[in-house]
Amino acid sequence: MGLSRRQFLQYCGAAASALGLTRPELGLLRRALASPNAPAVVWLQGSGCFGCSISFLNRISTTPPLTAADVLIDIVNLTYHPALMGAAGEDAARLAQATCDQGNFILVVEGGVPTAHGGHTCGGWTIGTEEVTFEKVVRQFAARAKTVMCVGTCACWGGVSAAPPNPTGVVGVQELTKRETINVSGCPPHPDWIVSTLARILAGETIDLDGFGRPTRLYEKTVHYFCPRKKEKSADTFGLHGLCLKKLGCRGRVVGASCPVALFNGGRNWCVKANAPCIGCTKKGFPFRKLHRKRSG
Amino acid sequence: MKKEESVSLSGQSTDSGATGAAASRVAQICATIDPVTRLEGHMKVQVQIAAVSGVQQVVDARCQGMLFRGFERILVGRDPGDAPHITQRICGVCPVAHAQAAVLALDRASGIRVPSNARILRNLVAGANFIDSHILHFYHLSLLDFIEGPGGPPWSNGWALDRRFGTAAERSLAENYVRALEMRRKAHEMGALFGGRLPHPPTFVAGGFTAVPQAEDITAFKGYIQELVGFISGVYLPDVERLADLYPDYQELGRGFANLLAFGAFPVDDSDTQKLLPAGFVAGASSKVETPNVDGITEHVAHSWYEDQTSNLRPSEGRTQTEYPKSEAYSWVKAPRYNGLPCEVGPLARMWIRGDHRRGVSVIDRHRARALEALLIAQSLRQWIEELRIGEPVYAACSSPESASAVGLSEAPRGALGHWLEIASSKISRYQVVTPTCWNCSPRDDEGRLGPLEQALMHTPVKDPARPIEVLRVVHSFDPCLDCAVH
Repeated sequence: MGLSRRQFLQYCGAAASALGLTRPELGLLRRALASPNAPAVVWLQGSGCFGCSISFLNRISTTPPLTAADVLIDIVNLTYHPALMGAAGEDAARLAQATCDQGNFILVVEGGVPTAHGGHTCGGWTIGTEEVTFEKVVRQFAARAKTVMCVGTCACWGGVSAAPPNPTGVVGVQELTKRETINVSGCPPHPDWIVSTLARILAGETIDLDGFGRPTRLYEKTVHYFCPRKKEKSADTFGLHGLCLKKLGCRGRVVGASCPVALFNGGRNWCVKANAPCIGCTKKGFPFRKLHRKRSG
Repeated sequence: MKKEESVSLSGQSTDSGATGAAASRVAQICATIDPVTRLEGHMKVQVQIAAVSGVQQVVDARCQGMLFRGFERILVGRDPGDAPHITQRICGVCPVAHAQAAVLALDRASGIRVPSNARILRNLVAGANFIDSHILHFYHLSLLDFIEGPGGPPWSNGWALDRRFGTAAERSLAENYVRALEMRRKAHEMGALFGGRLPHPPTFVAGGFTAVPQAEDITAFKGYIQELVGFISGVYLPDVERLADLYPDYQELGRGFANLLAFGAFPVDDSDTQKLLPAGFVAGASSKVETPNVDGITEHVAHSWYEDQTSNLRPSEGRTQTEYPKSEAYSWVKAPRYNGLPCEVGPLARMWIRGDHRRGVSVIDRHRARALEALLIAQSLRQWIEELRIGEPVYAACSSPESASAVGLSEAPRGALGHWLEIASSKISRYQVVTPTCWNCSPRDDEGRLGPLEQALMHTPVKDPARPIEVLRVVHSFDPCLDCAVH
């Protein structure tokens, strides 16, 4: 079409670039993006379900970038994302490879990394006639990336794919590569957690991480801390409205996440508001055995 | 994409199931697409291309599922109540379908009939997910096979071949691409009103549903559905017809076996007899619809990386024992067959069985049936939301049995979905999942018969083997979900 990203943005009537960040961060980000050397982003999908990307696409904010489209058009130079990109096959793989060879890029990983059967339970791509496993791709790209960001519990620590008996030997990216990763956990994570972390990385900000490699700011308080139902009496069966869900196995007391105030899907809802106990999807070790501690009946 | 040396088909027969063997010495080119982008999960497609009767075309095809996670083994030993949560994580694009199949199996295992409100709430959330998924598929996963899109990364650098839309049409479709992002997001918001959040709603439980409908949620739901009906009828369906007008050849391409199968979904009464999308089986795109019998389903693994002794088993006795490497195998996807037949599942199968769309089986017909189904479901949601009864129960107390076996049959956006569950000592002792993309993207079976997509690729003309855009269009028309297929 011959339109620049900026022109297309204007064409769509979307807002100009800014971020749901503090003013100094915003300044940093603007300077970073104004630079022709702004890092590209490569987004790899491994042993996962695509749900984190879908959650990212659900972004809607009152502060720009309002939507995922705004992020993609105006904020991020996303050279590789297998589910969104126009290119296919080896041409797609070569785009990622070119970014990697350049060196100045942020690696985003969605999904865990299978190591069983020599990594052959998860393909990366085929170059020539060589099938390159996802494990090999992650090792190679993580070694060259400026920053590695794990999106979702699978990329952080293996998640559902690594649940016992972990049939394909799935590990998180940090465990595989032994390098620091910035972990945005959740199954899936809230879109704002993904977008704000990515923006802060692009802005070159130093992000304070907790003991699990997660941005402290996002996970330091528990679900219970924010929960509007903590003073309510406890439901002992499903399908009752407005009650505390402790007796049904809610894990909100021990799980760090801001779900009750972040709210999912454009502020519409979150698990407990729909009377469903927190199953602890942001926590290392998810999915825990017996997600609802008590089967009601 | 890799062009390889020309080979003699008779001299290097890599495979028995192909139909191109008629030409004894034909210069062949092998084209590989890996990764097949714009789908869920990891897929590799390999085709052999040769000139037949002067037309360069696909003479052999292999569809390879490249990601195995082992959900069926992860579920064994777990609490049955975990099944809806765990199985949703098979797929972030159609999690609700897995939640639904899992709770249907659990309901059956407990012998419980869920309250009307629960049936309706499940339908509302599942319907929202269908609409989201269908819009996402057409605009975000398929359309870039035909247009440039919004421009710039990640959309640029597609195979810019055979582009038939003019500048103005390209612009308006690119604009609709962005608008469709908003619409699919809103479909998720609509589903989350009751589902709690999307993807991966936590509200589906054996015995019913956890969310209790409130008046304001019902009002908000109606607002969303109004907007979505407007988008589907005013933008999505017309865009599909714009595509059909400019690409009439794709109303013939990608036919395949045209055996169509559906398990049915969206029960509209509490006795579970009437469904919006009925079950059915149609052989060779005929007008005769038979009632499918699940006992006719077996999964073959001769060409899949599983132990041969586990082949041709019914899902109720199915096993998932990996064997890698294995000679003759090329995919992590098993090959389900119905009475031995490879079957296509999905919106076209469902619309055909319902009698709503029987023009043909092709790339365009799949897109068209998907859009028609999105509209049908959206209009049905408008009716079902009126049937919710505020203050009536959403859950019937139920306890999981100590031992049981049950099946939950439903439909995912991409087609027929079955969860086969066995409980022993109050734990899951067997769990087998047969997903839509298992059917559509299966490899060859024990008899060497091609999978439905493999067959649909046969005879597809290819202009440039280094950039086989025609192959990509046929593949995408099935809306493959390899995350689901291998699980």
